[in-house]
Amino acid sequence: MKELKILAVLVVIVLVGYIGIEPYAKHVMHGTIPPPDFSYLDLPKFEPVGDPKKGRELFKANCSSCHSLKADGIEAGMDKKTAELSFHVVPPDLSNVATIIESHFLANFIRDPQTATKNPKFAMPPMGYLTNDQIGNIIAYLKSTAKKELTGKEILHDACTRCHSVKYQKIPAETSQEHLKIYLGKIPPDLSLMGRAKEHEYLITFINNPQVLLPGTTMPRLGLTKEATETLVAYLDKIADPYKEQRKKIGIWVLIYMFIGVVLTYAWKRKIWKNIH
Amino acid sequence: MRFIDWLDERLAIRQLIRIMMTEYYVPKNINFLWSFGVLIVLMLVILIISGLFLLMYYKPDANLAFDSVNKTIMMDVAFGWIFRHVHAVGASIMFLVLFIHMARGIYYGSYKPPREIVWITGYILFILMSATAFTGYLLPWGQMSYWAAQTITTLFEKIPVIGPDLVIWIRGHFIVEDPTLTRFFALHVVFLPLLLIVFTAIHLYAVRIVGSNNEDGEPIPKEEKKKKGIPFWPVFMAKEFFVMTVFLTFFFFLVFFHYEFAMDPINFIPADKLQTPPHIYPEWYFLAFYEVLRGFFFSQNLGLIAFVLSMFIAMFLPWLDRSPIVSGKHRPLFQIAFWIFVIDFVFLTVLGKLPPTGLYAWLGLIGSIVFFGFFLSLPIISKIERKQLERGGDKQ
Repeated sequence: MKELKILAVLVVIVLVGYIGIEPYAKHVMHGTIPPPDFSYLDLPKFEPVGDPKKGRELFKANCSSCHSLKADGIEAGMDKKTAELSFHVVPPDLSNVATIIESHFLANFIRDPQTATKNPKFAMPPMGYLTNDQIGNIIAYLKSTAKKELTGKEILHDACTRCHSVKYQKIPAETSQEHLKIYLGKIPPDLSLMGRAKEHEYLITFINNPQVLLPGTTMPRLGLTKEATETLVAYLDKIADPYKEQRKKIGIWVLIYMFIGVVLTYAWKRKIWKNIH
Repeated sequence: MRFIDWLDERLAIRQLIRIMMTEYYVPKNINFLWSFGVLIVLMLVILIISGLFLLMYYKPDANLAFDSVNKTIMMDVAFGWIFRHVHAVGASIMFLVLFIHMARGIYYGSYKPPREIVWITGYILFILMSATAFTGYLLPWGQMSYWAAQTITTLFEKIPVIGPDLVIWIRGHFIVEDPTLTRFFALHVVFLPLLLIVFTAIHLYAVRIVGSNNEDGEPIPKEEKKKKGIPFWPVFMAKEFFVMTVFLTFFFFLVFFHYEFAMDPINFIPADKLQTPPHIYPEWYFLAFYEVLRGFFFSQNLGLIAFVLSMFIAMFLPWLDRSPIVSGKHRPLFQIAFWIFVIDFVFLTVLGKLPPTGLYAWLGLIGSIVFFGFFLSLPIISKIERKQLERGGDKQ
């Protein structure tokens, strides 16, 4: 009985200390993470509608000098090296862009990328000369070519690896380091362990709106949809901690083993101590 | 001839077992807190074994260290992650067990005559363990590894005359760099563990000579040992094994399900000497001492002196507390001081992780003063108790 009281005192002291240095201190240091906003309603309302056929022609006339669309056999007019030298970043292939980017955001982005991404130095020039109908047609076309379901790895490839490397997955950044330094001011961090370095909620909100958590960062707001963001972050979590499932499974067996040990050692202790008072 | 007889003739193995185990008596009136010494040995063994396996894949090079830990060990080597989790959580839990072991020693007066050497060697072990933890924490070469080492090594700069040169000597460079990593590696895997083993041996030898203390702090004469004690083997160890399995259940629960406190997420970002993290803090077991350093926020020099003092002052307990009453159980005044000290230590630990601004800075100062207040109160409490005893003696 007395020993249980001592144990209780120990547990209370350890718990108070733990709560102080982990949940409480983390709360004081990092605050609460604001929830993400996938409606992007800070941008002017713009629900694009249009005709994919007209969109294809418009795409070829306005976009394909830099962007390819391999799903429809359209190659970019400019090779990657030239694009890198001109923009200090490689332009993406747009085959699946309409699936991963929210369409209201995408429409605003085409019109004014710098405002939409909140990055005044964003490489793509604004296409303000396109009418709303034309933008609607282009997006209708992009939607027609896009795969409806994308894996985390595919989203990572379309949304992140132009600037970020993921070296533990043997994925280099598509743009070279020297150009990234010119474009973004520094080399963006490798994403191999981001899922462990940052909390799940932090990554969701950060990708959704980088300026909220890291004011002044050159990381652009990408306008990913809720589904794309969640699939992407789940993938980042998985590659950063590939043995999560195994760890849980083994952990349970180890605890069962230890529990049997507790029972056996307690029985032995009782036996030995029977005659000791 | 049986093998055991053959061995006994050459190594006196039976006598050794008698002296060390079956006829080594531990007092009866002790509680499970006396099991923590063996738990420390257990943790040390776990750390050495897990460390050995990590050592097989770790690369002590500023360019390779981070990947060798986070890719090779954590992802490529079969079950490498278990060894890292065990080693990281083990280091943290080692300090929890050490603090409990030391607090038990303080509460029951285990540092008093004739156990001064037990206390001092134990305290040296604590300092050595701190050095081992500090050097080991640099090895994964993550952001917090780097900046904690940078911050703590900078402290030496304040030492008069030799300070600035000493810092460069410790780092092997003007900042924490590859040479720092390699020398910390050498200390962590060879020199400090060796010293730990040597001092553990002396510590245990000293305990065998003077015997364990007990709840009432009463000395047990040789003749009464058998009557008032229990043999180390099998009686004490039967209980010890039970405590051990309960402890290991808790330990493995942490290793598999709750390791974040020992593996800071920010340390999964590679060291970057151009980017200081917004919050730099040591591992939790140094936070109280770190807070004493920051507590005297108005003077860096004073803070540094206080920090060094806080790390070493407990070593002088046998001379600060000279009360003839051994166990805190029979010392009401001491009990008050002790519990204030324990609460203050937890308080400082929590403050150590909070930003040192505004109210927290002042609370840190108060906490630091209370920390030293405990040690300074001991000579006074001793004096009062001595007087009370003398008065009690007059009455008889």
